[in-house]
Amino acid sequence: MIAAIGLVVGILLGLVLTPDVPQWLEPYLPIAVVAALDAVFGALRAFLDGIFNDKVFVISFVSNVVIAALIVFLGDKLGVGAQLSTGVVVVLGIRIFSNVAAIRRHIFHA
Amino acid sequence: MSSPAEQQQERIRVGLIEYLSRHTLDEDYARIARDRPGRRSSWLATGAMLVTLAVFGVLVFTAASQTTRNASTSARDRATLIDQVNARRATVQQRNEQVRALRRVNDRLDTDLLAGGQKGSRVFERAQRLSVLTGAGKVKGQGVRVVVDDAPHAASDRNKVLDSDLQKLVNGLWEAGAEAISINGQRLTNLSAIRQAGLAINVNYRPLTAPYTVLAIGNMNTLPSRFAETTHGATWFDLQQQVGLRFDMTTDRALVLPAADQLSLRYATLSKEEHR
Repeated sequence: MIAAIGLVVGILLGLVLTPDVPQWLEPYLPIAVVAALDAVFGALRAFLDGIFNDKVFVISFVSNVVIAALIVFLGDKLGVGAQLSTGVVVVLGIRIFSNVAAIRRHIFHA
Repeated sequence: MSSPAEQQQERIRVGLIEYLSRHTLDEDYARIARDRPGRRSSWLATGAMLVTLAVFGVLVFTAASQTTRNASTSARDRATLIDQVNARRATVQQRNEQVRALRRVNDRLDTDLLAGGQKGSRVFERAQRLSVLTGAGKVKGQGVRVVVDDAPHAASDRNKVLDSDLQKLVNGLWEAGAEAISINGQRLTNLSAIRQAGLAINVNYRPLTAPYTVLAIGNMNTLPSRFAETTHGATWFDLQQQVGLRFDMTTDRALVLPAADQLSLRYATLSKEEHR
């Protein structure tokens, strides 16, 4: 419940402020969102498993976003930014998929 | 929960993708739940979680709106490009029409030219005759060859050929009836200057060195005698006698004078009115 409030507040903030993303940050935004999605779905699954801990969530969220952005940044510097982004998206995608599958099992018992 | 060593074993055994899909959840959740069961989280941690979720919301929203904005920008770019292409296409069409129109004009001018061929050739002849007089054309004919030089062992300017001497010689030849004159291959026009510049004499702004060969086309029978009658001719004979300048005048049946290099008029332009 309290988590949903936080989410809604965030979206409203985005809607009101409409922050303009600086040019240098633009390539890292999508990958950061995917990494954040992974952390959020992991947290939701942990919550349904009954082992959720907010400290772990905050740390995993921040580290996910930072590491994903860092990998893409490093890739850009080495000239393999697109390939590394693909790798990051594949790994995070697999995690998101199986977390969502676990969430689905919790909700629908199937 | 497995120990790190077991995890390592598993990672080697099952391969990366399989391992990834087995361990999707952060293992810290399970570890903390096992180590500290039933512990209430602090207000600070809950607040941090709320902030994190808010950040997540902002992130998602910003990324989405940014993508939409970029998409609309690229759509606008595309529309601009299409506009440009169409504009250029219209220009090309317009130019093609221009080409056709010009071609028609060209055809008409061609026929005009053919019709005016008679008149044109008369004008051309007149221009050629004029080029003989103005120095614009190469000419040949009978005349005299005058070679002048400094006095032998000349020490001072007094017994050297000066620009004024050459000017007198040339003016005398004009007076005697010369039709075309050149000095050391420099054809004289009505705008040619003969000027001393340092050690050399410049004719048509080209430095010449002694001896100076002056070619004059005219009646070879009367030119020498008429030159001798002019005041400049008399001056030159004086120079020859008194100062010792070299002066040889011989007649020649076939002289060839080059065209002047530059016939640039700096101030005069052709009047648009019919010139006669």
